[in-house]
Amino acid sequence: MLLMTNVLRAQDPFVKHYVNHTEFGGLFGRVKYPNLYNGNQEQVDNRLSMTIQTFNGVQLTRRLSTGVTIGMDWYKAALLNPVAAGLRYDLTKKGNVKIYGTADIGYAFAWFHDDAEGFNTKGGLMVNPGIGMRIGKPGATAVTLAFTYKRQEADIDKPPLWDQTERSEERVYNRLAIRLGISF
Amino acid sequence: MKTKLLHLLLLFATTAFWSCNDQCKETRVTRRFSNVTRSLMELRTQVKSEAPRALERPGKMYIKGSYLFVNEIKEGIHVIDNSNPSSPKFVSFIKIPGNGDIAVRDNILYADSFSDLVALDIADPTKPKEVERIKNVFKFGLFDGGSWSLNESVGAINDQNVEYVTETVTVNCEENISPNFWWGGAWALADRAFLSSSASSASPQSSGGSSGQAGSMARFALHHNFLYTVGQNDLHLFNIATPSKPVDFATVNVGWGIETIFPYENKLFIGSSTGMFIYDNSNPAAPKQLSTFQHGRACDPVVVQGDIAYVTLRTGTACAGTQNQLDLVDVSNPAAPQLIKSYQMQNPHGLSIDFPTLYLCEGENGLKVFDVKDKFAIDQHLLAHFKNMDAYDVISLGKTLLLIGKDGFYQYDSSNPLDLKLLSKIPVGKTTI
Repeated sequence: MLLMTNVLRAQDPFVKHYVNHTEFGGLFGRVKYPNLYNGNQEQVDNRLSMTIQTFNGVQLTRRLSTGVTIGMDWYKAALLNPVAAGLRYDLTKKGNVKIYGTADIGYAFAWFHDDAEGFNTKGGLMVNPGIGMRIGKPGATAVTLAFTYKRQEADIDKPPLWDQTERSEERVYNRLAIRLGISF
Repeated sequence: MKTKLLHLLLLFATTAFWSCNDQCKETRVTRRFSNVTRSLMELRTQVKSEAPRALERPGKMYIKGSYLFVNEIKEGIHVIDNSNPSSPKFVSFIKIPGNGDIAVRDNILYADSFSDLVALDIADPTKPKEVERIKNVFKFGLFDGGSWSLNESVGAINDQNVEYVTETVTVNCEENISPNFWWGGAWALADRAFLSSSASSASPQSSGGSSGQAGSMARFALHHNFLYTVGQNDLHLFNIATPSKPVDFATVNVGWGIETIFPYENKLFIGSSTGMFIYDNSNPAAPKQLSTFQHGRACDPVVVQGDIAYVTLRTGTACAGTQNQLDLVDVSNPAAPQLIKSYQMQNPHGLSIDFPTLYLCEGENGLKVFDVKDKFAIDQHLLAHFKNMDAYDVISLGKTLLLIGKDGFYQYDSSNPLDLKLLSKIPVGKTTI
């Protein structure tokens, strides 16, 4: 009987349905810069920021789903909220462990960032392509692990120092994002 | 097979992105100074009237009758016929090397020219004539952050030219709240007076003779028979009983980092980078210090109306301050000024009061208009906020409002403060409107 239902299920015509994919993880990166307080000696620091995101969309085909991804990234000096168009595509067909491709492209806002006096942080473009694996039975809730590259731009107006008339920063975060999540 | 593929993919992803580096570039526009020596003998031959020219780097404004005088920083003075505010006309340009301040009594215009005080006859504004010069009264000063000093022994001015350099450096992607560069010191702090100009209709500049109107940022003020000028650390008095013959009269040592002078009734309000000094001026020949109102280090234009002084503090260039606020100070007892209330602002520059309306420039954030009848709730009485302009300084003349910003000089009809109507605009870089 169980076997039969499974067979029947497999033969069901595909129906579009709502999908959710919610993840959290870390953004791993580094920065290399001349240290002002050490004779401009170049210095490399590791950076790790926390990220969460949720993808809500429609399963268009058995393999492809599209939707909107919104998230929140706690960078050391900026709290950004990317809003992006998202895409998930299964690269493998069978089994309980599937590899999928993921891509989010959008813009991050600094809605919840609280600037220090004189600073003004604006978000920027965000791209986030990568691959991941989904562990779970087809059609049921699954656990995911994703490895993606995340590029996030931001612009910051800063208060000029005493001998300056203008000061601003163009910031590009290049990070490896590793995220755990669930999808259903 | 599948697991191999998976491993391969993950391996690729991790190695490809593991070396991700954040890239952050900070762009700064920095002042660079180069030293030059100017001969006083030569400078003193250079004051003359020239054909009108375009505003380039407008400094302070001064109004006398229907004429408007706009300082071109370090270069001279634009004379503008403003009898019709809807179409002001450039009349002439008075070339005065090293000029930053202006005051007018009757037909005589007083201007500084590096170390000298120059008096010009402007009975015919198209042909101003130098009538008197008091030599070597100002020892040093600042233009746009660059300082000059008088070298009396050789008769020269050791001057600094200012250039603006854009540089891009790699930074560590974090907000480096910069250490307070206090060693910028008085030099850096006091230059704001030359970077901005403002005025107030609440400024009864003088009695006796007819004088024009200057602003809260002015370093020159007229009162009775005296012209007061503030330098970096002193107050200079000139006797102008005969306007065309100013006489060097006295010097009063005031303090440090002096920026502005604002005469009101029988008092002088002197703004410095550390606070506000109040001087009793009932004997105009000998001002006496009554008190000091201390605040944090910041730029601080001051205007006074009745018993209340309106002081703005702002951060930014050369100010080394950490506050952006409007302070109301009770000066009913000038010997003991007391804070009434502080209001947070965005980046306040010049201000002007036409009681009960307070016009406050917020730099790039435009112009704010407040009703200040309730001194404890000014922030709840924001009448209007004009955002689409760069407001650096403002003079309220009752029905007309003069506003200067980075891109030019504006005149508004302010008979209804809620609805300013643009009368005219003189853009920077053009002689026609």
